Amino acid sequence: MRPLMLQGHERSITQIKYNREGDLLFSSSKDQKPNVWYSLNGERLGTYDGHQGAVWCLDVDWESRKLITGAGDMTTKLWDVEYGTVIASIATKSSVRTSNFSFSGNQAAYSTDKAMGQNCELFIIDVRNADSTLSEQEPTLRIPMVESKITSMQWGPLDETIITGHDNGNIAIWDVRKGQKVVDSGVDHAAGINDMQLSKDGTMFVTASKDNTAKLFDAESLMCLKTYKTERPVNSAAISPIFDHVVLGGGQDAMEVTTTSTKAGKFDSRFFHLIYEEEFARLKGHFGPINSLAFHPDGKSYASGGEDGFVRVQSFDSTYFENIFE
Amino acid sequence: MKPATTSWADEVNADYVDGLPPSKEIIDGDYKHITQYKFNDEGKKIKVVRSFKVERKIVSRAVAKRRTWTKFGDSRQDMPGPNSYTTKVADDILMNYIGSKDFEHAHDHLDGNKPMAKCRICNGDHWSVKCPYKGTSMDIESKAIAAATAAAVGDTNKSGKYVPPFLKDGAKGRERDDSCAVRISNLSESMTEDDLEELVKKIGPFTKMYLAREKTSGLCKGFAYVHFKYRKDAAEAVEVLNGHGYDHLILSVEWSKPQN
Repeated sequence: MRPLMLQGHERSITQIKYNREGDLLFSSSKDQKPNVWYSLNGERLGTYDGHQGAVWCLDVDWESRKLITGAGDMTTKLWDVEYGTVIASIATKSSVRTSNFSFSGNQAAYSTDKAMGQNCELFIIDVRNADSTLSEQEPTLRIPMVESKITSMQWGPLDETIITGHDNGNIAIWDVRKGQKVVDSGVDHAAGINDMQLSKDGTMFVTASKDNTAKLFDAESLMCLKTYKTERPVNSAAISPIFDHVVLGGGQDAMEVTTTSTKAGKFDSRFFHLIYEEEFARLKGHFGPINSLAFHPDGKSYASGGEDGFVRVQSFDSTYFENIFE
Repeated sequence: MKPATTSWADEVNADYVDGLPPSKEIIDGDYKHITQYKFNDEGKKIKVVRSFKVERKIVSRAVAKRRTWTKFGDSRQDMPGPNSYTTKVADDILMNYIGSKDFEHAHDHLDGNKPMAKCRICNGDHWSVKCPYKGTSMDIESKAIAAATAAAVGDTNKSGKYVPPFLKDGAKGRERDDSCAVRISNLSESMTEDDLEELVKKIGPFTKMYLAREKTSGLCKGFAYVHFKYRKDAAEAVEVLNGHGYDHLILSVEWSKPQN
């Protein structure tokens, strides 16, 4: 099938995510309207209008009922996925960089930027009976991050922990009940972590870092298992749900884009073998760095969102499934 | 009472509300063809026919229910089905497998059997800066020879007349080796470097490629020169590609002849 090009955004894409079944694809960008698409035919279902700043992150819950977004307008918003209306809008003291629902969808976590004299903080809220009063309620947990800013975040197994990636390359696990750091990776990455994505079973996750590598970590001990090296900053990485494959997306910094040709820019999605750490395929498409990647939950297609403002949904052709790694 | 039948001319007018015929949908087995009429930017009436393949899938109830949701936000006004403003079908892009034959060929001129470095001091397989004889008498000697040749070249130019670089003594060393070059002719106008690369990289690694283009239009003039890395590959190209059909034309491939 030919790739679909989704042109719903006016500025660069910041994050894309599939829902659990993979029938919906959510995209957020530096313009103010996150979009939702039917992944099968690329039809746009709607836009979530209400933010007044760049939307940095989004997440959809297990049942695809609620969407959480965090934006540069210093709010995090909960949305009704079906109608595109705001359920709750929570004001923060600086812009919201990451936001995620827990696996069960009972809780949500979001983190704020270290900016305007504010420290980076991680908040956890209860979203079971979320309504407009949520903005007045105190978060169930609040963890100040003194050392460095959170740049990516994932919930650990059983909604008990939160894994955070920081702008100094650190990764840490926080116990949600104690509000304490339980595991620290030390210095595995030399530069900030742009993205973290869990494997399908949640036992491992892959990080994408500015230090030109992506790494595979054990989700419990934070032991670095594998390293995938490239020669450009990696903005996003995802693990295939059906094969031992990892896809990496990146490119040079956005500010250098205009001075480099597409050929030299290395804007391809790069496919690595999960275990052998060897690159086996590349796929072109974007004419800017890729900012976010996501595998369809069935593993037969994947989507990428780029600095060029497009989301591309690419189905794998038969050669991908026949290609057996020797 | 209204008359039951009006004149046929009126009927047509009634259908064309804004001067455009209504859109039509034809379902033909597994295919759906939608015909729409609209005005383009120049104000001309255009007809757009879109064909879809209808696929039937069995999905979970939740997914099926989500298909029936009404659109909202900026998509509120959209018709059912993808809106061509926001959803486009891009050109097919094939995965480039690394380790496949094509990929290796494309990259082996970088790490081929021939060492790239040649030492100026001892003629070894390394760069001069890394030469073990650097700074020894051998090095100094070679520098002296170089200086002597430079002086000799300078002498011939003493007459003061301009000598173009290719006529100068010592320019011979720069002459390229045409022994592995082939000329490909009867190429089509639409040929590009990429197409040519696609065509010849199957045969073997090449070092240089020149596609003759019309100065003004940039279209291919119909011939190209390819320098292969190995003479056997060049021989194979002459053998295989000569008489090969490409883009509805029969290629002619021969050994490249010197210019004069």
